[in-house]
Amino acid sequence: MDYLYFPGCTLYTKAKNFDQTARDCSLLLGFQLKELPNWTCCGATFPLATDNIMALLPPSRILARAREEGTTLTTLCSVCFNVIKRTNRLIRNDGDKRDTINNFMETNYQGDLRVLHYLEILKQDVGFPRIQEKMKKPLTGLKAAPYYGCMLLRPFEEMEFDDKEKPTLFEGFLEAMGAEAIDFPYKIECCGSFQSVGSPEVATECGYKILGSAVKNGAEVVVSTCPLCTFNIDHKQADIKQKYLDFKPIPVLYFTQLLGIAMGLDYQTLGFGQNFVDPLPLLKGKGFI
Amino acid sequence: METTTSVEKMDSSFLEEVSKRSGEKLSLCYQCLKCTAGCPTAPYMDIRPNSIIRMIQMGMKREVLESSAIWFCVYCQTCGTRCPNEIHIGVLMDALREMAMEEGVHAKEKNIHLFHEAFIQSVRRGGRAHEVTMLMDYMLRSRDLMKGSLIPGVKLFLKGKFPLLPSFVKGKGEIKRIFEKCTKAK
Repeated sequence: MDYLYFPGCTLYTKAKNFDQTARDCSLLLGFQLKELPNWTCCGATFPLATDNIMALLPPSRILARAREEGTTLTTLCSVCFNVIKRTNRLIRNDGDKRDTINNFMETNYQGDLRVLHYLEILKQDVGFPRIQEKMKKPLTGLKAAPYYGCMLLRPFEEMEFDDKEKPTLFEGFLEAMGAEAIDFPYKIECCGSFQSVGSPEVATECGYKILGSAVKNGAEVVVSTCPLCTFNIDHKQADIKQKYLDFKPIPVLYFTQLLGIAMGLDYQTLGFGQNFVDPLPLLKGKGFI
Repeated sequence: METTTSVEKMDSSFLEEVSKRSGEKLSLCYQCLKCTAGCPTAPYMDIRPNSIIRMIQMGMKREVLESSAIWFCVYCQTCGTRCPNEIHIGVLMDALREMAMEEGVHAKEKNIHLFHEAFIQSVRRGGRAHEVTMLMDYMLRSRDLMKGSLIPGVKLFLKGKFPLLPSFVKGKGEIKRIFEKCTKAK
């Protein structure tokens, strides 16, 4: 089966390794990501004030175009997923907004696309037992901390992704790959989001708390689903180290990179050079590469 | 900030106005402080999220719209998920930011506001956000050339993460039209 795929801006720039590994893994799992032609930015935030139509238009454009191409749309970036899924829900449920948007866009989209995060495809459509069967190098003995962040989960009544405080989908995925999923209290905490640009100290502190909590609970690697979270908890580690002397760097990987290793892809194609904290010593030490 | 407020300074329509804009039932708040306890950016705010609601109830419009709090909220929705009265403060903050901009209130955290503008401009130019040109634009707007925002950019560039030129999508005319239509409709 093929899925329509909306990469999103960062997947073309600072998260190229996320994009590439997701495409490669999907082929091994028996489905293909069909990139949406001429996609534009999703707008990056779901507008919250009731009268803001403008910010609804970028995701609406994506949805309307995607509907012309197929029925299921998937994304990797948690922020894009949040914006697109919520806009889709709004268009489906709110007749007034739907009419206004369609009027602006000169489209006739009814909100009937199925919007899935890549992890949901793995859980619902592929199934974790099947992933288990596909393991060439099970990640036995790897203590991996799943970091959900905010955008996959909240607001939970709209995202319908998992439990609002105690999600377990990501853990199930890590365990299917043979890894030990580390539970830690900061797994659903915010990474500081875009404050890393305007007020870097906010993101630095968020990163310190999240990573420190993962390490304290025994994690050897933190696994992420979002390019922005990854920027804040991977690339900001130099700043965190500078500010907090007790901080020990820990590799942060995209879940698709880990899946790539476990399914036996050549590690040189997994884009580890783009990870800020080098994961190779850990992965070599465990005998995975 | 003054700790007391006089009756003359209170704007009695503020609560109603914000409630309408945000769609949130702000009168329900009984100050349990769950929002502030879980907020990742509250330590940096001049007024904490629970106090923002109280001040709206009291009609302290100027103080609320001028606060740094409304700009520090990153809408992680932890507060809204935990609020026993189902008040989504993230939604409220978005409405307050809009109101502050409409009223021409000088943003206390001007860099955060400037970053939002640089982002929109980047999308307007090419249809997709492009970090290199967006960050350059942001640095020029904020005059934040030395303060370190350049450093992560350079590091990412060295890691091969940033293409120098933005990728442009077909249909730039369409994007331009959407922007124009929206600006007119506002």
